[in-house]
Amino acid sequence: MTQSTYALEVHDISKTYATVRAVDNLSFEVHKGEIFGLLGPNGAGKTTSIRMILDIIKPDAGQISVLGGPMTEATKSRIGYLPEERGLYEDMTLLGTLLFLGQLKDLTRQTARARAEAYLRELELWDARDLKIEALSRGMNQKAQFVAATMHEPDLIIVDEPFSGLDPVNARIIKNLLYRMRDRGAAIMMSTHQMHQVEEMCQRILLIDHGSRVLYGPLDEIRRQFASNAVEVDLRGKLGHVPGVERLVSRNGGYRLLLQDGVQPEQLLRTLVNMPEITVERFERVETSLDEIFVRVVGRKVANEEGTA
Amino acid sequence: MRKIWLIATTTYRRRIRSGMFLFLTFGLPVLMVIAGAVPFIRARGSDLPAVGYVDQTGRLATVTQVPVEDATLTLTAYPDIGAAQTAFQQGEIAGYLVIPDGYFQGQPAAFYAEEEPGGKLQVALIAFMRRAMLPDEPAWILDRLAGPSNLTYVARDSGEEITAGPAVAVRFAVPAVLALVFAIAVFTGAGQMGSAMVREKEQRSMEMIITSLAPRELVAGKVLGMTLLSLTQVGVWAIGGGIAFVLAFSSVVDVQTLSIPWEALTWGLLLGMPGYFLYAVLASGLGVMAGDSQQAQQLAGVLGMLGMAPLYLMGLLINAPDGPLAVGLTMFPLTAPMIGLFRMALVEVPTWQLIASLAILTASLVGSIWLVAHIFRAAMLMYGQALRPRQLLQALREV
Repeated sequence: MTQSTYALEVHDISKTYATVRAVDNLSFEVHKGEIFGLLGPNGAGKTTSIRMILDIIKPDAGQISVLGGPMTEATKSRIGYLPEERGLYEDMTLLGTLLFLGQLKDLTRQTARARAEAYLRELELWDARDLKIEALSRGMNQKAQFVAATMHEPDLIIVDEPFSGLDPVNARIIKNLLYRMRDRGAAIMMSTHQMHQVEEMCQRILLIDHGSRVLYGPLDEIRRQFASNAVEVDLRGKLGHVPGVERLVSRNGGYRLLLQDGVQPEQLLRTLVNMPEITVERFERVETSLDEIFVRVVGRKVANEEGTA
Repeated sequence: MRKIWLIATTTYRRRIRSGMFLFLTFGLPVLMVIAGAVPFIRARGSDLPAVGYVDQTGRLATVTQVPVEDATLTLTAYPDIGAAQTAFQQGEIAGYLVIPDGYFQGQPAAFYAEEEPGGKLQVALIAFMRRAMLPDEPAWILDRLAGPSNLTYVARDSGEEITAGPAVAVRFAVPAVLALVFAIAVFTGAGQMGSAMVREKEQRSMEMIITSLAPRELVAGKVLGMTLLSLTQVGVWAIGGGIAFVLAFSSVVDVQTLSIPWEALTWGLLLGMPGYFLYAVLASGLGVMAGDSQQAQQLAGVLGMLGMAPLYLMGLLINAPDGPLAVGLTMFPLTAPMIGLFRMALVEVPTWQLIASLAILTASLVGSIWLVAHIFRAAMLMYGQALRPRQLLQALREV
């Protein structure tokens, strides 16, 4: 029997609160050893979906397979979860908190202690181990929560806004830890509004809005799908009329060329190279940022709804 | 079970270190012991001053010295009250006892002094009276006369002991005190449980914890931890109260002669523990349903009042301890421990009733854990909001 390459499979899950359809027939998969981005505007149904995956709330319909089967108590020890609404016991010490949460994830006390010590040293929290949680700074607290969620080396890690409250240095530390876990084979599902982090870290994404899937698949493909038909060029010489170009804008010493429909950048490059009066020094396809895609997709939906209304 | 225990011990350790808990737990028994020790110290610690007496009956023997424990009371006989008063005013004696003419007809003797005599002097004055009435009898007879009615009565047919005197008081008092302790434990415990749960909700720690164990394990662990905490508190109070009782009454009652009513204690434990658990589970459910600490306190307060409810029905129960109301309340899980114990203080409760009560109580406890675990699932993530009835129903449907 071949083992599934999926760490998480979600099929047609739905959840309704009173009259609000929080999640509507949502399906997606997360592969082992990938960082998967779960995106969506506020209130899109991300947290509800995560809570259904973690069996905190039950879906009204649909199936969820976590690490090869339905969620069981044994599966819970193979999952790490950093919720958006997070908090630790403020009257406990940092080390005591990690020992407690580690043991709840089925680590022995000795293993929990060894792991906690290693993580605290790596994240430069060792000197704060005997401080109460209430005495920690926001950044320290955030790092402590991350350790608590991952110290048992889970196979599926779900992190909700993992970088909020972190300065760039600490964000880099957490990012490296996530990479290390991914390289170990863990599947990581990351929900965040920080699009640059998604662009940097995620191989595939799911964008949901109003509980439904809007975009889903490899990030590269999605970006290609939304790529504007434009290129930027730096060149020597003066550029006049170029066949296949609809509009030409001079920009920072170079040009941005908006291509006519059906014209491929490769064709344009050939045309430019064959023009004797100019020498092409840089030719680059203009990529659409994820941020732009997000705004375009979600914004379009909002505009459509307003139009319908 | 390991995770339940981990939650319980962590809850216990966190709470037992709080200043308020330590103050409440140890402050109260210290006050009780101090209150109990006052008469003890007065009885034990005071020396016996010289006193006088006036025998107006003319029938008492002249006694000038009475040995009491490790001291001796020195007395001077005066012919009349005027002479005794003069000696008192001149500081020769600390007080004087007047035995009136009608003493043997029931008129009381009176002791005149600046202040109330200590317990030791009171005992010595009574010993003097015995000696003055029976000057020729040996000391052991006089000692026995001090408490000749401390009898044990035995039923002729069954051979069972029917206790009397202070033992009767203990037989009644122990179940009644246990019932009262239960009521206090429920009242304070329900409040603590409710506020502990809402604090947990406010600290937003549940979402992470609940992905590590089942909601029923979290409920059971929390309740177990808080129960251990309450047991610690009540245990410290009981020890403090026991010491205070022994100190306060040791000069009046021979404590060693009192037998322990094991049956009441056993049933107290058997009904009291699941009964307390039941209240704690329900209080945790109310706590997690509440939107904030104030609301949790109010809801837990209502539950605590329910725990005290049998106290309001005492009049009816005392009049008919075996009546339908009493039996019914013995079977109702929320009143079973208190009513069962109160009835045991008043009558012989049939064993089948106690066993049935225990069975219903245990089944209710299991059911309540199931119920509250579902409420937990729905309510624990509603930060700063109370669970509405519609949401409660939806939570219960999601089994």
